[in-house]
Amino acid sequence: MLKEFSRGFVRHKAKIESEEFGFAYLEQLLSDGSTLEYGHLADTRVLHKYKIVNITDCRMDELLQMHVMKECNVCRYFGADKNDVLCFNMDNNHRTNNTAITPEMSLALDALRECLLGLGCEPLIVTSGRGYHVWLRLDEPVENKVLFNFMVQAAARALLPLVIGGNDHRTIRFRFYPNIEVSALSLRLFGSEHANNKVFSRVLTPNVLLDEADSWKYFEHFVRNKITPTATFRSALDELEAGLSAVSRGSKT
Amino acid sequence: MRVGLIPTVADPRTIAVDLDDTLNNFTETLQNGEFPYDAADSLSEATFEEYLRKIRNGESEPADLLSTGYNYCRFKIHLSCYQKARARPDGVEFMRWLRRNQWRIVICTMRDLRRSNDCTKAWLKENDIPFDYLFMASNKIVFCKAWGIRHLIDDALFSIVHGEQYDVNVYYPILPVHQALPASSARGFHTFEDVKRWIQE
Repeated sequence: MLKEFSRGFVRHKAKIESEEFGFAYLEQLLSDGSTLEYGHLADTRVLHKYKIVNITDCRMDELLQMHVMKECNVCRYFGADKNDVLCFNMDNNHRTNNTAITPEMSLALDALRECLLGLGCEPLIVTSGRGYHVWLRLDEPVENKVLFNFMVQAAARALLPLVIGGNDHRTIRFRFYPNIEVSALSLRLFGSEHANNKVFSRVLTPNVLLDEADSWKYFEHFVRNKITPTATFRSALDELEAGLSAVSRGSKT
Repeated sequence: MRVGLIPTVADPRTIAVDLDDTLNNFTETLQNGEFPYDAADSLSEATFEEYLRKIRNGESEPADLLSTGYNYCRFKIHLSCYQKARARPDGVEFMRWLRRNQWRIVICTMRDLRRSNDCTKAWLKENDIPFDYLFMASNKIVFCKAWGIRHLIDDALFSIVHGEQYDVNVYYPILPVHQALPASSARGFHTFEDVKRWIQE
């Protein structure tokens, strides 16, 4: 399922998050002829991240298997021009106590989900450390510029209830994947444990936060059945843009 | 595979080298460089000038928020410094000497390589600085200890003060900021020739 979900990501590139380190480990990690772009020692605990390129298909399969076995997290890179997945990365933007789900976050997430569902796009919502990853999967790759435009406008809709309610929308940090301003972005695949708190990325349905086993079942269901047709996606974007134009017209009158 | 084990025997011929204010003149570039206002950054010119003044003073934003306009502005200015900063000629020569003498070279920086990897590699290539691995670490002492690296060249006060405690030999370029350092075993140098001698002791 992960392989199917990953079909549109950059083929030979991944970031590996692992508790293992040392030159012997690194040599083993690169033994398929792949290359380390850079490594990163996390700030919060002795966890290392390795951005690796030129990974063979066979090794990528092994890495995905290790990801499922929780021996490491695999993060994949979005394509530079087109992608068949997009993700809203919603984080609690506070420096401290930022793993808490704030009322503002819940409000924005509900608004985003309603917005997407109303447009015919069913998302996969996964918990992630300081917030949520909200994924959409399309039936064919779409230009990053279009995906980005869609996400900006949908996020604006999601933040609207906060603004109307007088809340500070800056307490939520939205990052968009893919992003036209920053290339070479990666995200942890579903099934990972968060780097900082080691909490499994559980699926959040409209009714309930699923446990690990049910999250995997839901993920399988999502990958098999919840692909948004590109035509629906493009209509949704038109609708978002029309809504924005109406707001813009209204503000001028 | 080793899982989270700190090597009992450190590799004597491995060295970690910092970039900013160690191999280049980052602070000088930040203080004296020109950073033109860009209206596309969604800041007023007055706000940009105020941010630039604070960035040059090394001030952090007091707000309890991670992602802010100030932090983004600081990142962009730092990124520009990474590109414009000049390499220290004796540092470049030292790195080439390390390569000739078969040292394993790890560039260890606090830069956010997620966003500055390309420009960092381009700068290293431009200056013909050899290295084996590039790592990003806020705490370079923990990094060196974990990877069994005995030698670290770094200007950061934290590394200078804490290296000894973790058996990491720290060497630092003497800068004005180092004037009132607490006592430590770290050794300050004026040229990389000193370091060359010390790491062979």
